[in-house]
Amino acid sequence: MSVFISLVLRSLETGSVYALAALGVVLIFRTSKTTNFAQGAIGTLNAFVAATILVKWGWSIWVVVPIAMITAIITGFIIDTIFIRPASKVGSTGKQIITLGLIIVIIGIIPMIFGVEPIPMPRFIAFTDATQISILGASIGYNAIFTIGLSVLLMGGAFWFLKYTDWGLAIRVTASNEVASKLMGVPTKKVTMMSWATAAAFGTLAAIIIAPQSAVDINMMNDVQINAFFACVLGGFQTFYGPVIGAYIISLSKNLTAYYITSTWNTVIVYVVIMIFLFFKPVGLVGKKIVKKV
Amino acid sequence: MENIKNNKTPNFFSKLLKPITIASKYMKNKLEKSMYSRFVLFGVLISLVPVLSNLDIIRYSTVSLIAYIVIFTIVALGLNILLGFSGLMSLGTAGFVGFGAYGVVYFSALGLPYELAIITTLLFSSLIGLFIGLFSLKVEGVYLAIATLALGEIFSQVFRRVVWFTNAFGGVHYEYPTLFGLIQLNRNWTFVFLVVVMVIMMIVMYNLTNSKTGRAFMAMSRSNSSAQAMGVSIAKYRLLSFLIATLYATIGGILFASFYRYVQPLDWNLMLTLLILAMVVVGGIKSIFGTFLGVFVIYGVPSLWLEDLFTGVYGVAYIFSGVLIIVVIMYYPHGIIYIIQDIKKLYHKYKNGEFKFQKNKEVNKDV
Repeated sequence: MSVFISLVLRSLETGSVYALAALGVVLIFRTSKTTNFAQGAIGTLNAFVAATILVKWGWSIWVVVPIAMITAIITGFIIDTIFIRPASKVGSTGKQIITLGLIIVIIGIIPMIFGVEPIPMPRFIAFTDATQISILGASIGYNAIFTIGLSVLLMGGAFWFLKYTDWGLAIRVTASNEVASKLMGVPTKKVTMMSWATAAAFGTLAAIIIAPQSAVDINMMNDVQINAFFACVLGGFQTFYGPVIGAYIISLSKNLTAYYITSTWNTVIVYVVIMIFLFFKPVGLVGKKIVKKV
Repeated sequence: MENIKNNKTPNFFSKLLKPITIASKYMKNKLEKSMYSRFVLFGVLISLVPVLSNLDIIRYSTVSLIAYIVIFTIVALGLNILLGFSGLMSLGTAGFVGFGAYGVVYFSALGLPYELAIITTLLFSSLIGLFIGLFSLKVEGVYLAIATLALGEIFSQVFRRVVWFTNAFGGVHYEYPTLFGLIQLNRNWTFVFLVVVMVIMMIVMYNLTNSKTGRAFMAMSRSNSSAQAMGVSIAKYRLLSFLIATLYATIGGILFASFYRYVQPLDWNLMLTLLILAMVVVGGIKSIFGTFLGVFVIYGVPSLWLEDLFTGVYGVAYIFSGVLIIVVIMYYPHGIIYIIQDIKKLYHKYKNGEFKFQKNKEVNKDV
């Protein structure tokens, strides 16, 4: 039983990382009508900012992370203004290629500014015997509790924002029909800019949470990026909360199959199950069927 | 009467030049009528590359680079049929290329001759392609794209983990092919072999897309319902287009193993898939020569020039190629091949005396 509980707790931690990235992906998908392949790369870039400041100047992680969030928001603004908005007439596939171009540019920028060596990144709360508690026999670090809490709080805040504020309403109407909402006076430009900034910030937080497991390097977010996409299809692109649910499901099922069935093939099993699931439910868990007019 | 007005009296020089102009017009007509001869001429030009290398005009490594371009032109042509004509998205292309490369090595190691190894590999990959085609009957749009991405990830896990098939991280070695058990090819002749296959695949694509099948693909990409109303069987043509794209990708993989003689598991990732997609979109959707141009821009330009220009500073070549991709998409969303059309239009305007110095932003609106 304690093994199961500790698996669940660990899944909650990685699941939060996937969920943050997936929420960013779905925000951009709904407002800019493209799948953002650069979500992971943007997160990595800003994680490098955080890690470099931390190592070079020795600032505390509690100062560095907000700084990285601010640079992430600026990155989002810049990307939207320079690349995405002028390309509003480009089709969805074209925009995907633009995000690919962004990945390549970021891969070029990182070694120029931050060097080619991976940079170690500490946890928010160092992992020692004193900083962990036992829940039903399974031990969990304060850091894991903090990161789970932080991401749940942020995502909850995002959902509250989407549901109860005017700007949230603006995002939702832009997501459902951009042209019509533009005609109704919704500032769609600001909306897309805001969703790029939010997505970048979420991606950065995901990168910072996952960084201590290895180090900050260029490929650290590849796995997260792919799983965020799977979370989106599993949960469905039509709602904002679907991908978050999907992310936790994927993380949990990966850990459970790894422990109870096979640790070599657990990802393959999960991906096959996702494909079979999609075959029977082609729009995801909470997705609605898209009605196409002829 | 009006005709006479327009006809100027021929002077001495034009009389003298008449046979030449007639001959050149004839040649031009002939070339324009038969796309085949264009493809063949193109192939002949490309296969001169090893000669240039032997004469020390270009570097030895440039041949490998152009072989890469030729191989990925084939892969991108397949994706172009799928994306450009049928309007379906696949993010599993790299997996199929990798499967082709590993498959031909594995079946050759079992003792099959080169041709049989190719056929067996193609059979297995077409089975997987048909499976994806069946899958696409239920799942659509971005969901289909990400489902194929899942397939690509499964492939890449298989390449890393199944030791008897791929030798895991050690990679597998291969040798230059022997055709029909008689002709042992060396590096240069393998290159020519690649080019011959590319020309054949171009001609196949040209015939396919200008036939009933191609028109059915295009009808399907516009609207499933209206295509069905016109009697196009969605199931049949979706399966067919996935099958074709899979076969093209697998053939690319087989040629990859044949030319580079070494396959390792980490090459076949999402990044490669996205680069192949970029080759199609940047080059020109639905365009055969555009696809080649796209591969050249995405892979050739960075490795031929940019990396030489910026050898000292690590990363600048990346930034340049990334910016290049973005700029091309922003200004030529239908592909870089349409630049040539724009230049032709400008030339005609210039010829007719209508040329004015103004920005032609609307030029490719109707393409």
